Amino acid sequence: MRVLCAVGSRGGPEMIRKLRAIMGAQHELLLLHVIDTGPRQSLDAFLRGPGSHHRPPPPLERERRVDEVEEFVAKTTLEEARQEAEQAGYTIHAEIQRGQAEKLIVQLAKDGGYQLIVIWSSEGAQGHPQIGPASIGRVARYVLDHAPCDVLMLREL
Amino acid sequence: MVHSALGILIFGLTLGAIMVRPYHISEAFAAAIGAVLMVLGRFLPPNEALRTLAGEWNIFGFFLGLMVISSVADQAGLFEFLAAQTGRLAKGSARRLFLGVFLVGALTTAFLSNDATALILTPAVYTLVTRLRLPVLPFMFACTFIADTASFLFPISNPINILFFNSLGSGLAVFLHYLLLPALFCMIINFSLFSFLFRHDLRRSYDVDSIPLEFSFDRAFFRFTVITLSVISIAYVLASAFQLPLSFVAMGGAIFLLIGSRRFVNWPRLRREISWSLFIFISGMFIVIKAIENLGFVSKFGFGLVNLARNSPAMAILITSMGTALGANLINNVPMALVMISALSSVGADGPVHQSLVYASILGCDLGPNLTTIGSLATMLWLLILRRKGLEISYIEYFKLGVVVVPVMVAVGALLIWLHW
Repeated sequence: MRVLCAVGSRGGPEMIRKLRAIMGAQHELLLLHVIDTGPRQSLDAFLRGPGSHHRPPPPLERERRVDEVEEFVAKTTLEEARQEAEQAGYTIHAEIQRGQAEKLIVQLAKDGGYQLIVIWSSEGAQGHPQIGPASIGRVARYVLDHAPCDVLMLREL
Repeated sequence: MVHSALGILIFGLTLGAIMVRPYHISEAFAAAIGAVLMVLGRFLPPNEALRTLAGEWNIFGFFLGLMVISSVADQAGLFEFLAAQTGRLAKGSARRLFLGVFLVGALTTAFLSNDATALILTPAVYTLVTRLRLPVLPFMFACTFIADTASFLFPISNPINILFFNSLGSGLAVFLHYLLLPALFCMIINFSLFSFLFRHDLRRSYDVDSIPLEFSFDRAFFRFTVITLSVISIAYVLASAFQLPLSFVAMGGAIFLLIGSRRFVNWPRLRREISWSLFIFISGMFIVIKAIENLGFVSKFGFGLVNLARNSPAMAILITSMGTALGANLINNVPMALVMISALSSVGADGPVHQSLVYASILGCDLGPNLTTIGSLATMLWLLILRRKGLEISYIEYFKLGVVVVPVMVAVGALLIWLHW
């Protein structure tokens, strides 16, 4: 089965362990991490927003530093998941994308003909019990609503 | 009569253009056009316009000095250092880090003004929090909010305070007498409400080891900057205590800092980071407000406020602070501050009535922009919500931020000013 694993900023290895426990390791995985551009856009909007007459554009050095850190975190995150998946014996591809996480996940699942999307119920789920109303984050909810295939939602119980 | 109406019209159009910015003109351009029209329309003789500007040398010097100091501090790596140190001291708890960001934000605002926190500390914190794999929005909001909330700790914490201080000030002791307690209370309210609103996001922990140990900036440059900044901070406090022009400290400090670190400073970047248009904006506003002052409307407004304050002080303080907060939010806080200064100084009444209104205006002008900040961010988040049908509770909480937090802070601040009078 071709499985798309939406790896958030945390909980990658745990996701692979759960996946293996539920459906074994004979699958082809796409480990996808999306650098969400939303918060960065909010920051830019603030820095250049109303009342910004005295706000010169942010220096390039600073922009570059933020880019570097985002890339670094994305790579580390995927690497952690990749190691776990490799040990478990999965066939793996890994991919980093920039944009709106929920839309990209759905789009890639559609384009790549994936049969299953695996996702945490919310970014805050890992490490804390998250059950009950409002426990599903916006990314997971959108994916549930729009996915072209089955969705395996993981929760920390 | 027609002449007066024309003056009011120019004033209204200038404020409107600053607010709406038709054809994407800058605020500075709008203010400059307004000023030129005022002079051409003979609301203010050219020589009086020049005299007005010359009389505000302290403000211009302070702004310039402050921008240079902040930019050099940024180049020396001060803000990255502060963010990383906060990350280490918080020892892996997101909640402690949140408190740390509030404290560092308050400290930065207190001595380097609100813009340094909002514009330079915020991106540094953003980078740190991304590295720590924590949700960035709560920390970003913490930075941008504390920049305004802590901005009436000292006269130097917000250039708006200097505007008031320059024409109506009566020393650091009086400033602190009226505003220290409101500032502390507002900071506590701000922190408590945010901690509650973001409680789910802040339950996490992070790995302290993911904060890089190496310091990528020049150590000598950094040390020199930190020592100079400490001296400048003390000099600020002394200068405001003895009512010496604060521009002396800002400019003197900036020049000393630049000479001492001339080998390290990236000059083109420094030039880029100084916003020259700010000077045009303030100059334009000074002239427009002076012209309106000559028409006599502003003093009527001032007398009205003072009369109200004599009859019902609590009401007057509350109305002044809420009104200026709203005005600062609608038309930008510089023109709002200038209108209030002009109104209150033309009344000329001294004593506690006058003082408490001045400090109520400072409170409103400093806290008001928090609404704007959130106004723009909230609009964006609102669009996000409309776009994504999946609605998450925390997004609604963002709306609560500006709308709930600011009025509470203004009301409590006003109450404390009233208790002091």
